[in-house]
Amino acid sequence: MRVQLGKKACASSLAVAVLAVLGRPVNAQVAEVDTSHTVFYEAPTHTNMFVYTPSVDVKVAPSPWLEVRAGWEADVVSGASVSTKFGAVYHASHPADVVSTASVHDLRNMAGGELTVKGDTTSLTGGYDYSTEHDYQSNSLHVNARADAFQHNTQFALSYGHNFDRVCDRVQTESDPTRWSALETSTGCFTADATRTTHSIAIDTFESSWAQSWTPIVETQLTYTAQLVDGFQSDPYRSVILGEAIKTQEHVPNERARQAVTGRLAVYLRGIKGALRFSLRGYSDTWALRSATAEAEFEKNLGDSVRVMLRGRFYKQSGAVFWSDDYTGGDPPLGPRGQYWTGDRELSPFWSWLAGFRFVWTDEPEHGRILGLLESFKFVGSASVTSFSYDQYTLGGLPVSDARAYVGTVSLVAAF
Amino acid sequence: MIRAFAIVAVVASTGCATVAPQQRAILADPTMQFDSEARHEAALRHAIDNREGSMGGTGVAGGGCGCN
Repeated sequence: MRVQLGKKACASSLAVAVLAVLGRPVNAQVAEVDTSHTVFYEAPTHTNMFVYTPSVDVKVAPSPWLEVRAGWEADVVSGASVSTKFGAVYHASHPADVVSTASVHDLRNMAGGELTVKGDTTSLTGGYDYSTEHDYQSNSLHVNARADAFQHNTQFALSYGHNFDRVCDRVQTESDPTRWSALETSTGCFTADATRTTHSIAIDTFESSWAQSWTPIVETQLTYTAQLVDGFQSDPYRSVILGEAIKTQEHVPNERARQAVTGRLAVYLRGIKGALRFSLRGYSDTWALRSATAEAEFEKNLGDSVRVMLRGRFYKQSGAVFWSDDYTGGDPPLGPRGQYWTGDRELSPFWSWLAGFRFVWTDEPEHGRILGLLESFKFVGSASVTSFSYDQYTLGGLPVSDARAYVGTVSLVAAF
Repeated sequence: MIRAFAIVAVVASTGCATVAPQQRAILADPTMQFDSEARHEAALRHAIDNREGSMGGTGVAGGGCGCN
């Protein structure tokens, strides 16, 4: 039913786009259709994950001051993830125990839309997204205000988003979290099943940014992002071994305040007709997780129709204050961490690198239309590989190897 | 930090740097845009964000977990 909702939204958008095209002068671009297809794959020790993400986006500009966008996106997920986490100390005393994994099959559908009202130097956007998975539902609202000043040399933007999310969990009969059991499957979620319950998650995100043109070839952008997450944030399927015969559901704090500052610089190199872009980001949150990200990109025009881009990225983070690879004991950094526990490698200290490229081909004839129909056509292909090096995270003491993920996207964009 | 951000923004945006409209050709080139291919950037960020403990600098829109 929810899938049908997304398809209806897309069909309506396409109809609006076609009607708008038919009602416009021949040379005015009034609609843009964008379809993208992304594949994600990784197969580190004991686990694997394959995600296919198709999407369709339709943007219509019925007048110079109004823009309407509607889109649909899905994640088709299959793989295997760790269902019970323990470390080297526990495994040394329980050599017969092996790391268990659970197969994962999920389908996320997201449909949404945006309305933008534009002036000469300002714009205001409001949007809504609805998404559903077997075990997660989300309603998301966002607004964005943008203003240009000083002959477009300065741009300010303010954005705010709020998510009303719900996640499925197993009904726990005990009040003590150390006795909670993990959710076995998503069967019965969001139904009247007496063994299932839902937890709410409220997410408030605020972002402000300032972009500045300094010279005809230098531009910068400074962005501050803050986010408050209030609600159930554990992986309901994951268990953690806390001690002898104590296997319990992952348990992390309900509140998390997060903030990040991102600085970006773009410099055009006239001699080689290409641009260098740099980005630095610092992040911290109330779970004591800190991270730094450095990114560099080089993009160059090859003639009038082709652009190529190379990218390199380095990322390093500390672990959350309650992270431990083995809560059953051992010398620091192993051992218990108070009232919370997690088996999430994303909350452990690690560093990663990423390398990628992007290819863009655009056909935008100065006169007439492509096939008598399209104002312009664009093909974009990109691929990235990222590798993770975990400082502490192990699976029963076994370090995770082959922790590489591959991401590839192709998209077609047609403007009418 | 927010106060420093505001001070720098006000000082810098009051005319210290000005690029005339006729000089903006290169700044308008797609290679100079921080998010020229937003769809591709969003797809990559979606994958990366689910493998890292961080967020930020990439907008506020979006719904769902998709966090396998």
